[in-house]
This record gives sequence, structure tokens and C-alpha cells, in this order.
Amino acid sequence: MSGKALSNSDRRSVPAGAGVGLRAPHHLIVMSEAPRVAWFEAHTENYFADGGPHVYAMEKIRANYPLSLHGVGLSLGSTDPLNREHLKKVSRAVKRFEPALVSEHVSWSSVGGKYANDLLPLPYTEEALRHVCGRIAEVQDVLGRQILVENVSSYLEFANSGMTEWEFVAGVAAESGCGILLDVNNIYVASCNHDFDPLHYLNAIAAQTVQEFHLAGHSRISIEGREVLIDTHSTRVCDAVWELYGSAVRRFGKVPTLIEWDTDIPALDVLLEEADKADAVGASVNAVAA
Amino acid sequence: MPSLRDLQVDVLKAVLSAEDGRAARLVVARGIPAMRRLGIYANNARVNFHESLQASFPAVLRLVGEEYFHQCAREYQKRYPSTCGDLQYTGTRLPDYLAELHVNDEFRYLGDVARLEWLRQETLISADHRPLDFEKLAAIAPSEYAELRFRLHPSARLFDSEYPCWNIWQANVASDGEPEIIDLATGPDRLLLIRRTLQIEAHRLSHGERSFLIAVREGEGFERAVEDGVNCDSEFSAAAALQRFVLAGAIVDLE
Repeated sequence: MSGKALSNSDRRSVPAGAGVGLRAPHHLIVMSEAPRVAWFEAHTENYFADGGPHVYAMEKIRANYPLSLHGVGLSLGSTDPLNREHLKKVSRAVKRFEPALVSEHVSWSSVGGKYANDLLPLPYTEEALRHVCGRIAEVQDVLGRQILVENVSSYLEFANSGMTEWEFVAGVAAESGCGILLDVNNIYVASCNHDFDPLHYLNAIAAQTVQEFHLAGHSRISIEGREVLIDTHSTRVCDAVWELYGSAVRRFGKVPTLIEWDTDIPALDVLLEEADKADAVGASVNAVAA
Repeated sequence: MPSLRDLQVDVLKAVLSAEDGRAARLVVARGIPAMRRLGIYANNARVNFHESLQASFPAVLRLVGEEYFHQCAREYQKRYPSTCGDLQYTGTRLPDYLAELHVNDEFRYLGDVARLEWLRQETLISADHRPLDFEKLAAIAPSEYAELRFRLHPSARLFDSEYPCWNIWQANVASDGEPEIIDLATGPDRLLLIRRTLQIEAHRLSHGERSFLIAVREGEGFERAVEDGVNCDSEFSAAAALQRFVLAGAIVDLE
């Protein structure tokens, strides 16, 4: 990255290489040293402010890098009316920073006006599928663009689910016209927690719907003698997830891949190393395919 | 089969108040009791909420220590659960909550310190504004001054307390060392907080200056604002106040 401002056409797309999650502790180094990284993704809510240092940093960084805005607070799957105030702020951030990609989650976090501020899984039912598709349509209408939705990590399954998570996620994309942000770590975490083959998940998703991958580290805890994987974004990507990522690239091709790290955030160099590794895995898969 | 709505109501109850067990029947146990699975989400909700409060109120955290801070945060979350998808706003009511909790005890200043921290956060995320255009001011005839309405910078916030909260805040966040002992009798504090470029500045105010700025903030004309200043402080100088607040970047426009 030369630090030179991007052209308009470069701003409108995110390259198929690896990007990293932009977090406040790295604002200064990214602004001053313009590190070599293909693109950045930021949590939309962190840039809701009217002004001030975060908005300033984002405007500076945005001028030099392709950007994706990734929401965590819209509560897409909630049965409450869509939070129009929150959506208005998302819409303002999208207009202000002109991200090439905009994404949210296949999950819910609130009901009755109260928020858990966490990504809770949905029951995988026809009712939930119709509901989420309707909400995605509302959001896409307001924003005037397609959004991507991300599969979440989960620690429980609902007894009334009539389909698998991968059938549900594939159905959401097919019926709402949104794209999929496939979080490879989340698939791995869910597959360990709920005893399924993660390759079944990958194979169920239509190839053309996946427009972005997420990679992150997770932690392990023990509950009543049984290991549970927790999606903490607090460590490097583990070997099993790198392997699954290779399978994902083989199936879906090279799409923008994000390294996420949200807890115990390390020096930016650590994230850049992980991004280089993602690029190397992507290149090796392509080389084999060729 | 429960409706999606009923399922969400029961699950959120379990997540926000772990004692509610009705959601357990909705969850597949598979080797781990359903309530323990729900407990992972309850823990996430608690940690996310507490971390957002810690980020907004670092001085309060330092003053009361982690154990008491988390105890307060748990009770506060029960009474005022998050009502939006942006965690930045979880602390909106914490200053009042702490003030109520410690009306007349050793932590009676805590609510005010929390209010100062909350105002700092508001100052930090407010809109930007260009400084006052001096030519615009120079073009006003002195005969029109009385009706002039000045506008404050969007980040300007007024703070007052009978306690020396600014010194308490500085002593507790400016260094990691043992904070100095501050005599609670060294108040009161009257402050103007404002963001200039990217930093927050605090300006100490006289009683008259504070009254003047309140009137300006409420949209009163210059003459009325000056009257308010003089009424509570005979030494209040309109010319000095105007110069001070324009130079401080607090007054940014006029009409």
C-alpha cells in the first residue's frame, strides 16, 4: 500500500485478497504507516458517531483502502419491529464511508426492546426463514443495495428446528437475494459443538452466493466434562480452521477474506501475518486447482 | 411448537436473568444441560455489557475497584438492560443510578464523577464544527449585539458538581500509579468540556460564565445571556467571556 488515495473504481470493490478487521487501537498506526493490507472491515456501530476521533480516523483510512462495514447490532432475526433508528445510523455510515460491502448476521439479539448485545442463533424453522428474509428485504430496500449475511457460532440448538443451519442459511440467500458472508471459524465452532461434518455445510451453500469469508480464533471451555468451543476472536486461526478454509476456497473460489480479532487485540503485525497466511492458503489452493 | 416470538421472549429472559428456566425446554441438551448452554449466552451478554461500562467509566472503575464495579454493573443491567444494538449507550443512566445508590456515604461524589465521564464520552462523539468566522462577527453593528444569538460547538458540555470531580478524574485515569488523595472539600467544579481537533479540553468556569453559557445554549439573545451572567456574578465581564469562549472554540456561530 503506497498511501496514495484510491480511485473511485477501487473504492467500489474489495479485492479477493485478505483484509483485517479495523479496530480503534490500530487507527493511529494505519493512518501513519499505511501498512500493506488489501482492505479493512470495520464494525458499523463503532462509526455511528456524529464526529470525533473515530470518524476522523475512518475518513482518513477509507481514503487509502477498500472498506467493508460489518454490523453487529441490527438484530435481523428479532420479532420486534426493525429498529429504524439503528438502521438510519447504518444508512448514514454507508452513505458517509461508501463501503464496497455491507454485512450483518443471521441471528437475533433483542426482543421486547431489550438487547442481549450478542448474536443469538435462530430456530431453523420455515417461520424464522420467512421472517429473516422479510427483514433482509427491508434492510436492502432502505440501504438501496444488497447486503451479505453471516452465519454465527452457536452453543445451542433449538428443539423445534426442522432444518439444518446450512439449509437455513442457503435458504436465506436463495429467497432474499442477499449474499453470504461465510465465517469459516463459525462453521468449525458449530460443527464441534453440535457434532456435524463442516464439509456438509460448505457443500450445501450455493457457490455463487458466497462473497466474503471470515477467519478468527476461538477458545475452548469445559462444561460438565464436555468441551465447548467459544467464538472469542481472541487468538490466531487454528490449524483445523485453516484446513477448512482451504476447502472453502476450493469450493467457492477466492473471495475477500477477513482476519477478525476483537479480544486481547495484538499488534497489527500479528493480524498482517494471519492475513499473509490466508493469502498463502488461497494461492496454494488455486495452484493445485490449476 | 412455540412461535418465533414466544421462543425469543423466553430465551432472552433466560439470557438476561439466568434464574428464568422456561427456555430450557426449547433447547436440545446433547450432553450439556440446556440451562448451561443458555448460560454461555448469559455470560456473553453480561461481559459485553460490563466491558462497555468499563470503557465509558474508567475513573469510576478505578475508584471502586473491579469487584464492586461488577456488582453494581450486574444490578444496573438488571434494572436498565441495554435497549439498543449499540453498546456505547449502555451507560446512559449509570450516573443517576450511582448517585441514588450513594446519596450520603463515602462514595457520594461517585455519581458526579460518572456524569463527568459520560459527558466526556458525549463530547468525544459529537459532530465537528468549524471555528467562528470572525468576519461574520466583525460585520455586526454594535447596536445589534443585544439580539445576537450565539451557537455553541456541538461537543460543548457544561458540568457542575459540589465535588472536585475533574481532579478526581485526572488522578484516576492519568496515571497507573497510586492516585493522590483529594480533599472532597476542594470543590465545587464548574466546567466547560469541549473537543478541539480530536482532544477534549476542560475549562474552569466562574459562576457567571456558567450562567452565561447556559443561556447561550438555551438559545437566549446575547443581552439576556449577559444579564444571567451578571445576576449571579457581579464581576462577570461580557467582553472577556465572549473573547474567552470564541478563542476556546466554544462559540462557533451566530445569527
